[in-house]
Amino acid sequence: MNRIVSAENRLREARDLPAVLDAAYNAFEDMLPVFGAYEDPADGTFAAFVMSAASAADGRDAILFAPSLPPHRLGGPPAPEHEAQPGDSADQAARALAGLTRLLAARLAQAARSAPDARDRAACADAWRDARYIHVLLTGAEP
Amino acid sequence: MTSQPTFGDFLQAAGRQLDTAGASMTTAANGDVDEVIQSLLRVVTVLDRYARDATFPFDEVAAADAPLLNAWARASIDARQALANAAALLRHRGPPGPLEGTPPATTLARHLDSAAVSLAAGRDLLETHFAPGPRGGRQLRSDWAPAIGSPPVTRALLSELASLAQQVAAQGAALAWSPLPRTRGTREDRRSLGAACQWLDVFGATIQAAQQDEPTPDGDRELLHAIPLNALPPRRVPDGSEPVAGLCDGATGSALRARHAAWDAAVQATWSPGTSVTSLRRVAAASTLTSYHCEVLLRTLAARTPEAAENRAALLRAADAAGRARASWLSVANALKQVTTDTPGYVSPAAAEASNLALWTGRLAYASPEWTLVSGPAHPARAPHDLAPGTEDIPAVVAAIHHSCETLTQLTWADREQIRTAARAGRILVPTRSLPDNYDIPHPYAHAPLGRVDSLLGVYEAAGAANARTRDAVADIAEATCAPSRMLTAARAAARARPDDRLGVERVRSSGLPVQGKVPDLPGPVESTLRELGVTASDLLRRGAKIDRAGERLISAAVGEGQSLRRGQPGEQTRQRSAATAALINHALASGDSRAIALLRGQTQRQSEPPEREP
Repeated sequence: MNRIVSAENRLREARDLPAVLDAAYNAFEDMLPVFGAYEDPADGTFAAFVMSAASAADGRDAILFAPSLPPHRLGGPPAPEHEAQPGDSADQAARALAGLTRLLAARLAQAARSAPDARDRAACADAWRDARYIHVLLTGAEP
Repeated sequence: MTSQPTFGDFLQAAGRQLDTAGASMTTAANGDVDEVIQSLLRVVTVLDRYARDATFPFDEVAAADAPLLNAWARASIDARQALANAAALLRHRGPPGPLEGTPPATTLARHLDSAAVSLAAGRDLLETHFAPGPRGGRQLRSDWAPAIGSPPVTRALLSELASLAQQVAAQGAALAWSPLPRTRGTREDRRSLGAACQWLDVFGATIQAAQQDEPTPDGDRELLHAIPLNALPPRRVPDGSEPVAGLCDGATGSALRARHAAWDAAVQATWSPGTSVTSLRRVAAASTLTSYHCEVLLRTLAARTPEAAENRAALLRAADAAGRARASWLSVANALKQVTTDTPGYVSPAAAEASNLALWTGRLAYASPEWTLVSGPAHPARAPHDLAPGTEDIPAVVAAIHHSCETLTQLTWADREQIRTAARAGRILVPTRSLPDNYDIPHPYAHAPLGRVDSLLGVYEAAGAANARTRDAVADIAEATCAPSRMLTAARAAARARPDDRLGVERVRSSGLPVQGKVPDLPGPVESTLRELGVTASDLLRRGAKIDRAGERLISAAVGEGQSLRRGQPGEQTRQRSAATAALINHALASGDSRAIALLRGQTQRQSEPPEREP
């Protein structure tokens, strides 16, 4: 879950809009391999993870259309040791991802309200919907 | 399973009207000949329209070539002529008036009018599966459409109409020749009515003769009767109170709606906002779940079946196939994470209905009546005897699974076509962050590299094959259990006959004789692209068509010179994987050039069965 922890840290530390967008983009992107690591239908989280993965990709793409998103990942590519670690159980992964999506939804909601550019606001609002939906899928509750 | 009206409903209604008329003739063989002529003309006019639909491929077959047609083809031409003769005799007093105002006083005329209305409604039902196409042709609008135009269904239709025509002929003739005091009408009218009825009898006898040469199987008649109205059943969402039968019905209705939407999506224009990566991802995710639910349902049915029963092994085989289909959808879902489109966020009707299908099948598969896609942790599957308490309950469950698997298969092909079309228009994008560092693009997204699009299309191809195998496995079970969905298999089998082979026109074509039948002259890939871009200038379209023809000739010439490509050569790899060449290949196949077909059909057949990936 290192990736998820790092993504949360980056989101917390983001101070301006480009940094929030960059951190949010990376957070969605970093969720994808975690969802991919738990594709066994025997896991109770199978349905939620399959649907969440689609929404994570949608959220990432929504941010892609924000004009203030930096063209390159801030801080460079993720370190190799931060790859997904499927040693954790699906439930543990779901809890970690739920925490990330709660924070992600909060930061995106804030950016959707305060960004000066309407296209940035629209992108953040779209991505917020995806983060929120993932949280609902994983926990059954609103973030 | 659904309350959709079928063609059989209208055919039977017409038959009932004529039966009633026949019964009343014995006691009331009297009436106004003129009224009957008007009503009979209405019936003959509808019959003639059916006959024209069935025989249009022969419109321009030269008379000298007619002996080369098969018995059914010759019979249908003769039958149409007989109807034309009957109509000409009845029309001597002018065309029939509108069916308004006071109904005719003559019993037979009233029943004939009702039969004409039923037959016309039946034809309208068939027409809902088509739309006007380019160049005067017809565009297919449903997965039933190819079956409706197929030789087996056409033969069954002609047989049914011939039977009705003979019934009408007997009743009309009885009135025409009945004693004068009981019948009003001039001698000329009576003679016209009698002669027209003789031609109707000829129509029936001609088709009967073809029947003797090549009988129409009962299954084909059953298929004809089962053709449904091409209309969306209402969208329903389960409320938790549905019994298993209601859930089966809901799943089937949702599957029909998704198929309908998929059919529309596959033919949409390159610029359509309906092609969005959000929709494609929703379809893939929901279909992964639906496949899994079908797998669970098939295993539950297997557990309910005695171990020694033959169906049990078939159910387990189908469940394994559904597991592989589920894995193939997951591959699609993962591949779609690598791309995006220029219109993200839009959720198409097909995507919405695919999610609804996952919900209905999930409710059926799981014990909890409140299961939803966001239910989270594991839920126990429905108990075998809860799913199907008696053996009589099994066919409905099988039909729901069958319809679901049919829909999943069509969704793979429809979405693949959407991607192919969108890629041709440069609408498949990738985040530049996902590209290697040597790509220096100052935008957050860029056109997807060709390799990524081809790889995506390949994943869809494999998913299509895996889902088709599941559908076929479930179709066998549907046949064995007499599930109502077995008509899906019959329709697909009927549709497999090539359109050109309709009732034997191919025999003329392959003889090398000139035939100018209305074989669809479809635009090629270049012309299609121009049209999709909104180009209407005839000189540009002509140039596009010329380029397409030149491409076909080049392929044919290459084959003619023995330049066949051996498996494994780089050229073949490129041809298999490129979306643009696929369009050219398909067009060359459609051109009917036997040399191109010899090379390319073998190729496409190989493509259609890629190696299956284990889950």
